[in-house]
Amino acid sequence: MFERRLFHHIDWLTIIVLGALCVMGVTMIYSTTHDGPNSTLYVKQIYAIAIGVLAFVACLVIDYRVLAEYSLVFYVLVVALLVGVLLFGTSGGGARRWIPLPFFALQPSEFAKICVALTLAKLFEESRRGSPSATDLGVGAAITLVPFLLIAKEPDLGTAITLLTILLGIAFLAGMRMRLLGIVLIVAIVAAPVAWRYALKDYQKNRLSTFLDPELDPRGAGYQQIQARISVGSGGAWGQGFLKGTQGQLRFLPVAWNDFVFSVYAEEQGLVGVIVALGLYLFVIVRALETARLARDRLGAYLVLGLLSAFTFQVMYNITMSAGLVPVKGLTLPLMSSGGSSMIATLAGFGLIVNVRMRRFTN
Amino acid sequence: MLGISDPDGPGVALPEDRRKLVTRLVVVQYLLVTGFVALALAFWYFQVVQHEKFREMAENNHQRTLGLRAPRGVLFDRDGKILVENRDSFVISLVREHSRDVDRTIRLLSRVLGVDEAAVRDTIRKHSGEPIYRPIPILEDATLAQVAAVVAHRLDTELPEVIVERVPTRRYPADAMAAHLFGYVSEVNEVQLAREGFHAGDVVGQAGFEKVYNKLLMGVDGARRVVVNSLGREIRTIEEVPPSEGRRVQLTIDSDVQRAAEDGFRAMSYAGAAVVLDPNTGEILSYLSLPAYDPNAFAAGIDRATWASLNADALKPLQDRAIQGRYSPGSTFKMAVAAAALEEGIITPDFTVNCHGSQDFYGRVFQCWKKGGHGPVDLRRAIEQSCDVYFYTLGKMVGVDAINKWATRLGLGVKSGIDLPNEVTGLVPSTQWKLAKLGERWYPGETISVAIGQGQVAVTPVSMAVYMAALANGGKRVTPHLLRALDDGNGWKAVPTPSDQGHSGIKPETMAAIHDGLWLVVNGGGTGGSARLQGHDVSGKTGTAQVISLEGARALKGRTDLDLRDNGWFVFFAPRDNPQIAGVVFTEHGEHGTNAALIARHVMDTFFAKKEGRPLPVFNPPARPAPKPAVALTGGQSIGDRE
Repeated sequence: MFERRLFHHIDWLTIIVLGALCVMGVTMIYSTTHDGPNSTLYVKQIYAIAIGVLAFVACLVIDYRVLAEYSLVFYVLVVALLVGVLLFGTSGGGARRWIPLPFFALQPSEFAKICVALTLAKLFEESRRGSPSATDLGVGAAITLVPFLLIAKEPDLGTAITLLTILLGIAFLAGMRMRLLGIVLIVAIVAAPVAWRYALKDYQKNRLSTFLDPELDPRGAGYQQIQARISVGSGGAWGQGFLKGTQGQLRFLPVAWNDFVFSVYAEEQGLVGVIVALGLYLFVIVRALETARLARDRLGAYLVLGLLSAFTFQVMYNITMSAGLVPVKGLTLPLMSSGGSSMIATLAGFGLIVNVRMRRFTN
Repeated sequence: MLGISDPDGPGVALPEDRRKLVTRLVVVQYLLVTGFVALALAFWYFQVVQHEKFREMAENNHQRTLGLRAPRGVLFDRDGKILVENRDSFVISLVREHSRDVDRTIRLLSRVLGVDEAAVRDTIRKHSGEPIYRPIPILEDATLAQVAAVVAHRLDTELPEVIVERVPTRRYPADAMAAHLFGYVSEVNEVQLAREGFHAGDVVGQAGFEKVYNKLLMGVDGARRVVVNSLGREIRTIEEVPPSEGRRVQLTIDSDVQRAAEDGFRAMSYAGAAVVLDPNTGEILSYLSLPAYDPNAFAAGIDRATWASLNADALKPLQDRAIQGRYSPGSTFKMAVAAAALEEGIITPDFTVNCHGSQDFYGRVFQCWKKGGHGPVDLRRAIEQSCDVYFYTLGKMVGVDAINKWATRLGLGVKSGIDLPNEVTGLVPSTQWKLAKLGERWYPGETISVAIGQGQVAVTPVSMAVYMAALANGGKRVTPHLLRALDDGNGWKAVPTPSDQGHSGIKPETMAAIHDGLWLVVNGGGTGGSARLQGHDVSGKTGTAQVISLEGARALKGRTDLDLRDNGWFVFFAPRDNPQIAGVVFTEHGEHGTNAALIARHVMDTFFAKKEGRPLPVFNPPARPAPKPAVALTGGQSIGDRE
């Protein structure tokens, strides 16, 4: 299945940049945990990267078209896992997100992104017209909504919304009419107060209202936002230096190795480091967009953009949040934040993207 | 090559849907690049433009400046013995900034410390206006058990907002020795904060020597800048400015003489006051007022119950009797009357009166304390025997204004100028005083009781000490004082003696006659025999003064719990020629001056024993007779003393 000549088309640049981001992540996890109770977290992250590399290779060697044939199987499997989370999952921080396994806790919602992207890509590829029909959009919405609701129920609204961006990205690329996009936006705006009233949990409402006025709750949700911005701002142009940022080192930022890893990075490495990191992320994103354009078929393009939508949304949201500019959400920074499932799923997703690029010339 | 360009070059047509796809990817790319540029700009804005502001906020987050309390200056006695020093105590404070739920903390802390929750709340309310990072002291001078209890909870991070600090605290002598002299310290109050330029939390002198010399004793607090983590735990010290101790100060007090006076009073269970000084300079050797309070209780933050009981106590332990008590001097006033009569040229020392035990003045019979009378007595004998009839006669001859003039010149009825706060003025009446105060004419009959130190005459013990010093040194009115030397950092520097309050202008012959009488009181057949010291020519005078007139006493008999027994005085100097020590012992309800004289004797004995290198004497109290009933009513229309 894996032809020798394919090897020459592997996108090594993307792999190198991904590796660089992973190393930066491990470094920052070490910085934020080395003197605390989680001081071995960076080792776990290295293991996760190792497993992630295996997942990457697995997603690379099998032709994505073959994988797409089985997309429904993966989809059903992941939905089953999500149901399992709600039934048997373990909780942390008020949410039930993990399935306990012998060596680690699996977070199925991370893998739901890949499965949804694969399924939607397959769905829209089969639609042969210039723009997706209402039926296609309806089916696509339904495919997205099932895991969306399951994940939102955990609750993990951030990851759930990430699924919507996948749908949006693929539908957009499949030629969804712009008018329809406008209608979706209007509906969203109208639905917001209703969602506020009925769908959001109290802690979510809290986060939103303290975002608008952090001083409402300077020790609670607003605290994180204020401290995040202080961390970033105090970094200055050149940063405080590795292990020298007071905000992260002295624990003024909660869970700095996770949601706020980029704030600590900005504190210790300064604007220079921020621009380097933004550049690296932008590089893999633009490179993937190129892959989408070069893709041999629409399936490949849709798949890449679907995966990229989720990745980009998380990167941009997390980095914006780490500067205190959007409400605090449990959205981690792919490749840098600590988290095994996220790392493995992200690398697997990039395996698929590189897969598409690698096979751009094959028939 | 990044970016999206047409792979097949211009001119090659693409399928319709393929071109649409490429267009949309280009749109996405532009949007994302714009997004990332916007993010970079946002970070530039925070990290470069507003960097200074956030750097400061980060610093405020993790740096704290903690005050380091300066130890107050140590007080030494005239021999260099330590009187008041400092010890380490533990203060348990609350930092509201680190508290997520102050209410919970208060409940938990009160339980852990075993203190009243309402009082803790009160304390926090009092400091509510201060910055929230400043520690609020909840418990001063915590016991080791309390400290251990808090530390145990803190380590469990149950009470991260509670800190335990070690601060220097005043240590006064354990038995409240010279309590009123030293005074006490406590945290600055709001009035002082507004008026005197202290800082919140300063510990300042509130009474006594501590108050008067507060500026010298206070020292300069230091500061320590530390790094704290998000729980408020200290991580490390950035810099430390050590506190500088207050000035070391030497007092004129002789702790052995002080101890002697204290022993005497305590052995006889008297309330009262004593002021003993060097009659030539005014240096105070011993100063006490009883009952006293324990200044240590204030140093570590007095609790409300103790404060309330001190205030409510009928014996008024907070009153410094030596400078704030006004008492009838009784017979100890007679030297002033004698001086007036001699100086005004009305009599000579040989002027003799025949005492029959009572005499009629202005139509009213005045009793002598000795029922049978003294027979013919001259001035010296009249002082020795404390003959009332003799002094009634002098009073009638010289008049109240001359008595006022000479008593004032000897230091009575005026402030002594002692370096202690809130001294009150005594009263020696005059015609002018009565007119101004009561709008009434002075009746000559009133002068008769004034002449034996009764009536409106009221003096403070400290002014009696000045009076005796003036009689001892030939008439100079010294300023009693407590500050002897200062350590300004380069060794001890003597403090100049404060200037005298003037000279009475009394002639040496007058002094000699009075000295003869005072010597006889102790060494002749007088009432002060119990103060006699072999070889030291003690001169002195007893006095007994009614707390209430006999008529008043009769009216109140059996209807009051007030102690109406007479007050006892003994005033003294020694030796008779070139006196080295002078003073006053005043015993409240001591009934007569004999017991006061015993205490004075012990004080002088101690003083001379030290000079001569003898072992210090031990006070042997006499076997006390059973206490008399509150008022012993014996005399008829008598006012005045009974010696």
